[in-house]
Amino acid sequence: MKKFLILSLASLILVASAAPAVNNQTDCNTNHVKCREYVLNLDEPWYKVAVMLTGCDVAFGKCMLGI
Amino acid sequence: MRWRRKRRSGSWIAALFLFFLVTVPGWELFLRPSALAAQPLPHWNARETAVPPSPSDDAVLGRPLALALDGERLYIADALDCAVKVFSTEGRFLRSIGRKGQGPGELSFPSGVCVSGGLIAVADKLNFRVQLFDREGKAAGGFKLPFAPDRILALNGRRFLVTSNPTAKRAGEKLLHIYDREGGIIWEGLEPRTSLDPVKDAFRNMILVCAGSEGDLYVIFRSGERTVRRYSSAGNLVEAIDVDPAYAFRNVETPDAGHGRLKLAGFCWAADFDAGFFYLSPPEVLDGKDLGPGRTICVVDPRGILRSVVGLPCAVHRFLVAGDRIFAIDDEGSLRIFEVDR
Repeated sequence: MKKFLILSLASLILVASAAPAVNNQTDCNTNHVKCREYVLNLDEPWYKVAVMLTGCDVAFGKCMLGI
Repeated sequence: MRWRRKRRSGSWIAALFLFFLVTVPGWELFLRPSALAAQPLPHWNARETAVPPSPSDDAVLGRPLALALDGERLYIADALDCAVKVFSTEGRFLRSIGRKGQGPGELSFPSGVCVSGGLIAVADKLNFRVQLFDREGKAAGGFKLPFAPDRILALNGRRFLVTSNPTAKRAGEKLLHIYDREGGIIWEGLEPRTSLDPVKDAFRNMILVCAGSEGDLYVIFRSGERTVRRYSSAGNLVEAIDVDPAYAFRNVETPDAGHGRLKLAGFCWAADFDAGFFYLSPPEVLDGKDLGPGRTICVVDPRGILRSVVGLPCAVHRFLVAGDRIFAIDDEGSLRIFEVDR
């Protein structure tokens, strides 16, 4: 019974978190590609580019997690 | 007696060899390809030609990303203004082609431009397509792409080379793509370098492309590799040219950017190919910890030997060489024109 409860709770959380993520996945991907392309074409010194690329990756992760 | 004769003929051969070595020009280079590099390199100066001022706001470049020359017209892809700005070779502003949007004749972040058979082809990055314009600036078709195009080059036989930055979101991504004018894919190649660090990969996969004189193309990695790869217009790798060690890497270790310390062996910031020579601009080390655009352009021959260095009065982000003239984009995003005193 305890196992069943934990499993059903876990599946509920998974479904709830996955639903909006699936909807946003295309947007997240498109925005991530645009962000990277924008940064790569800034033609700024490479340290600044590295930091901004990291920013794109962080934003992508947050978008996928729906945060 | 027989031994003596043998020795005499041997010394004759050695003397003949030495004679050729000293007298025949080019022998020294044949034996020691970097011999030229050991000698002091000729240093060419670049004299600036004043760009005439224009009353039009359109003449101001927002974010110029690519240059193309067609006879007396210079085309500059301006990503910020979503247009291609047309200048004369004296730097006089002539017109602007395209405007922001997604429809025919509209552009979103144009990052590359080239001219082929009277048509201006634009890498319309954020619309994921190549747009064609006639010389008057009217839309003349184009084709969709499954990726965001980066640079575009005109090749032989009404073909275009389109480059892309890898996204790690599609399987089997390639960096180079050759299309015909109708958008039919002819060839794709050059696999991106991949690892677990997407930032490191972004730098390792930054490439520069130059059109050769015979419809072929050259690919140069901006960091980590000192070779110039030559591809035919059909996409076959013809040769890999090792660049003279006298053209040094610019090594920096950028501070922690969330992925540990990133070691970069900067090779080339911008490049062009003209009249049989490569023009490579090495990046400049800034404050000992970063790499930015440089103030010199190295002239490298087709064998990879460094022939001379052109000194510029300012750092240049992009440039195009046409004979003794260099069209360049400076730190402010302005067009600068230089005459080279060889």
